[in-house]
Amino acid sequence: MLRIREDRQRLMRRIEVSRVAVGAMLSLLAIAYWFVQIARGDYYFSLSENNRIRAVKVTAPRGYVLDRNGAVLVENEPAYTLHLYRREARDLAGSIDFIVNLLGLDREQVASRVERGKRAPEFVPIPIAENLGIEEVAMVEARAIDHPEFAITVSQRRLYKHGGAAAHALGYLSEATPEQIKGSSGVYQVGDWIGQKGIEGAYQRLLAGANGERRVIVDSHGREVAEANRLEATPGQNLFLTIDLKLQKVAEEYFRDRVGAVVAMDPRTGEILALVSSPSYDPNWFTRRVTSSEWTGLIENPDRPLQNRAVQNMYSPGSVFKVFLAYGALAQGLVDPSARVFCTGHAAFYGREFRCHKKGGHGWVDLRRAIQVSCDVYFYNLGRQLGIDRISEIATAFGFGQPTGVDLAFEKSGLVPSEEWARVKRGSRWYPGETISVSIGQGPLLVTGLQVARALAGLIEGGRLPTPHLFYSSQDPRTGEQLRYKTEFREGLAISPEKLAIVKDGMWAVVNEAGGTAFGSRVQGVEMGGKTGTVQVVGRETTIKAGADRSRLQDHAWFAGFGPVSDPTMVVVVFVEHGGHGNLAAAPLAKALFEAKYGIAAPLPPPPSLSTDAGAGATPRIAPAALRRGEPR
Amino acid sequence: MIGRVIPGTRRLDLVVLGCALALSALGILFIDSATTGTRYEGLASRQAIWIAVGLGAMIVALLFDYRMLLKFSFAIYCACLLPLVYLLFFGETIANVRSWIRFGQFQFQPAELSKIATALLVAYLFENEEDARLHASTLLKLSAIVGLPTLLVFLQPDMGLAITFVPLFFVGLLFGGMPARGWVAIFLIVVVVLGAGWFFLKDYQKQRIGTFLNPDSDVLGSGYQVRQSKIAVGSGGFAGKGFRSGTQSQLRFLPVQHTDFILAVIAEEWGFLGVILVLGLFAALFLRAMKLAQTARDRGGVFLVLALTGMMFFSVVINASMMIGLAPTTGIPLPLVSYGGSSIATTFLAIGLILGVEYRRFANA
Repeated sequence: MLRIREDRQRLMRRIEVSRVAVGAMLSLLAIAYWFVQIARGDYYFSLSENNRIRAVKVTAPRGYVLDRNGAVLVENEPAYTLHLYRREARDLAGSIDFIVNLLGLDREQVASRVERGKRAPEFVPIPIAENLGIEEVAMVEARAIDHPEFAITVSQRRLYKHGGAAAHALGYLSEATPEQIKGSSGVYQVGDWIGQKGIEGAYQRLLAGANGERRVIVDSHGREVAEANRLEATPGQNLFLTIDLKLQKVAEEYFRDRVGAVVAMDPRTGEILALVSSPSYDPNWFTRRVTSSEWTGLIENPDRPLQNRAVQNMYSPGSVFKVFLAYGALAQGLVDPSARVFCTGHAAFYGREFRCHKKGGHGWVDLRRAIQVSCDVYFYNLGRQLGIDRISEIATAFGFGQPTGVDLAFEKSGLVPSEEWARVKRGSRWYPGETISVSIGQGPLLVTGLQVARALAGLIEGGRLPTPHLFYSSQDPRTGEQLRYKTEFREGLAISPEKLAIVKDGMWAVVNEAGGTAFGSRVQGVEMGGKTGTVQVVGRETTIKAGADRSRLQDHAWFAGFGPVSDPTMVVVVFVEHGGHGNLAAAPLAKALFEAKYGIAAPLPPPPSLSTDAGAGATPRIAPAALRRGEPR
Repeated sequence: MIGRVIPGTRRLDLVVLGCALALSALGILFIDSATTGTRYEGLASRQAIWIAVGLGAMIVALLFDYRMLLKFSFAIYCACLLPLVYLLFFGETIANVRSWIRFGQFQFQPAELSKIATALLVAYLFENEEDARLHASTLLKLSAIVGLPTLLVFLQPDMGLAITFVPLFFVGLLFGGMPARGWVAIFLIVVVVLGAGWFFLKDYQKQRIGTFLNPDSDVLGSGYQVRQSKIAVGSGGFAGKGFRSGTQSQLRFLPVQHTDFILAVIAEEWGFLGVILVLGLFAALFLRAMKLAQTARDRGGVFLVLALTGMMFFSVVINASMMIGLAPTTGIPLPLVSYGGSSIATTFLAIGLILGVEYRRFANA
């Protein structure tokens, strides 16, 4: 017991001595810090001012985008950016004044960018203005001695060589939003330009490559004195699109003064050959930075130029839907193709009168003729026979009511109504009269243009639906190594070749036989088949607006065509808002596309405004207001 | 019986707890400063999660009677060493080191936990060694207990982490009653081992030590960190450049500033005052903990507190010396402040054990 006590006292004494030692040790450290921070503080401060080592990002060159034949759609060009080094600015407000006056910039925008830049560490340069002209660069450089806070850097700017052509397929670049930066777990930083929408957005990772880093020694003005080491950037992949620029331009030209969309696609693979949504915008215009008034003009345009009408707008398919219904009924053996219906121009169902688009009636029509002349009464009867749930089944088998899986963001699903849909989603029962409307593609049924193109591809391929896509192949710019898109399919309704031939023959007759609804759009040398559609615009809103704009009361026009009929290589789906009848407004574009594809004639002169080979800055900046339909350009 | 047993008087030491919390709060603040706008952004909130985990571990440690833990310390020790052996053979290599076990997106360094286990076993060893003099057999056991995990971690190879085991050995020697000639012998052995060990060090480790001895030899290579951190610390001056305004910090200069070099960030942005604040909080924590050791009810408690405090103290001294080139850059984080989940969680566990010794000071056996 005594020994233990004695030992404990010793132990306590040792701890006491150790406490003193610990205190002394930490005090010594404090003295050492005092020496470094205070006695030698000025020395290290000057070192920190004059000899800094900085990591500088080496931006990877973004991959080019080319069409399927290698024509360049999107490339990069040098661009001059003005940066503000906050550390070097003695008087920040004065600096802003100086540069706003020198270059005639928007004061509010400059101030807000400086404000935003203040969130980053002080020595991170704040981008003030992009895309300076050579004269502007010279003006800033000439005043560099008085204003060392401003510096100009050369970077690569995205150049959309054909302006607004295929804008909705290509997408655009813009500065990463705070949400995108947050969500990227460190990949994107403030001021990074990233792809938004289109293939720029969908294949952002592929196109962007990986940035490198240089570690450089800079002096107090941020001037580089030496390079310590560097990590090379990995350039982005070049992207070949399925788009055929030749066809694209024909389609663009056609939609120059129309509102609507067109999709041309290879039915065998789902490769999109042309994709137009009109009105369009010039993606270059984002790269040159949008001012707030320009932006408002663009988003307040009632025709919504930013929206991709081929995948984001949903419409009634109108009579185009009839061919899918005919196919579905045939495939399931629910209709005898030779059975005839007598059309008097109208028919009564469930105590209501339904009219055929032809006032006098079509007389006796069988399935083939019903397709050719688009007889409503025939399809009213067919639809009633099938019932809504079977119609919904057929529509679903053709991919309606679900996204196509195209490599574009924000794709809409459309809507395929059914009894269950009415009960669950709409909250009211399904009325039998609605079935009659749906059987000619009206009523609650809603589709996108791309869905129709895919469904048509599925129809002529005997039920096999390809996934539409714009990605043709990617190519590593250093090794030339290519990566091809692997075509995907979804199996739909199978059909016997004989029955399929009846539907295709009916569609051939639409274009090539007297009495067909698109007889005027025959293509010399290529047998095209198709189906027109006309969607009535009878919304109350539209009627009210009618006083101001009569064109808004016009019907929407559809045309869904394919060719050559014997071995189809292309389907074309055209939608023209307020275009009137499908035959007159939509089918001629399909005809023009087939003619262009098979080199039959040059039906439309090449659009002169699309060539912008003049170089940087030469592309006219198009104000968004000018994109508005009806205004002179 | 020593002292009077007053049932039900359990006391939580607020000085130790307060200092630990203040230091970890400072850590969050400066991790945020050091990572904002970089690709490490968001680590501050992750650190907060780890602190919460650590506080949980601390409460668990408080609930257990440390004497129970001491009793089972050998089993705990073995259980904690197993993953180290496992890692040596099957570990995933992160940053050239096989020392991490992954749980989903979180990783854990089991070596951190084995530090606590080793401290427990050392305390248990001395609980039963009541002689004033250190016996040769005890010395041998102590060397084995501390040496094994040190070797395992060293082979990962994580020199920094391995070195943090060493203070356990010296805590044993110092408080176990090492006679003067023993110290002389130890000194000689250390010199010999260091000399021989030089041949076993990896190249980058040699380079670091070489750089330490002559920092200007390789300004952009391995001397880079030392030089940059000295500039950062020195340029902070008396009051610093202001929170988030460090020109040297902000990750452009120090590759791991939110972890090992966090003190350089504090020194630059809050200056000498900030350093004094950090060192002062540590001093208060250590001196208080040692006071608690003096009043512990048994030898096991005394040694447990001393072992844990000793480890922390050692890390603080080495880390703080590293910043200004007084010690080679060994990858030892600043306890409680540096970013690092395993480190902060286990440090709070250690704090919990220290508090537990005080907490049960008068409790009935």
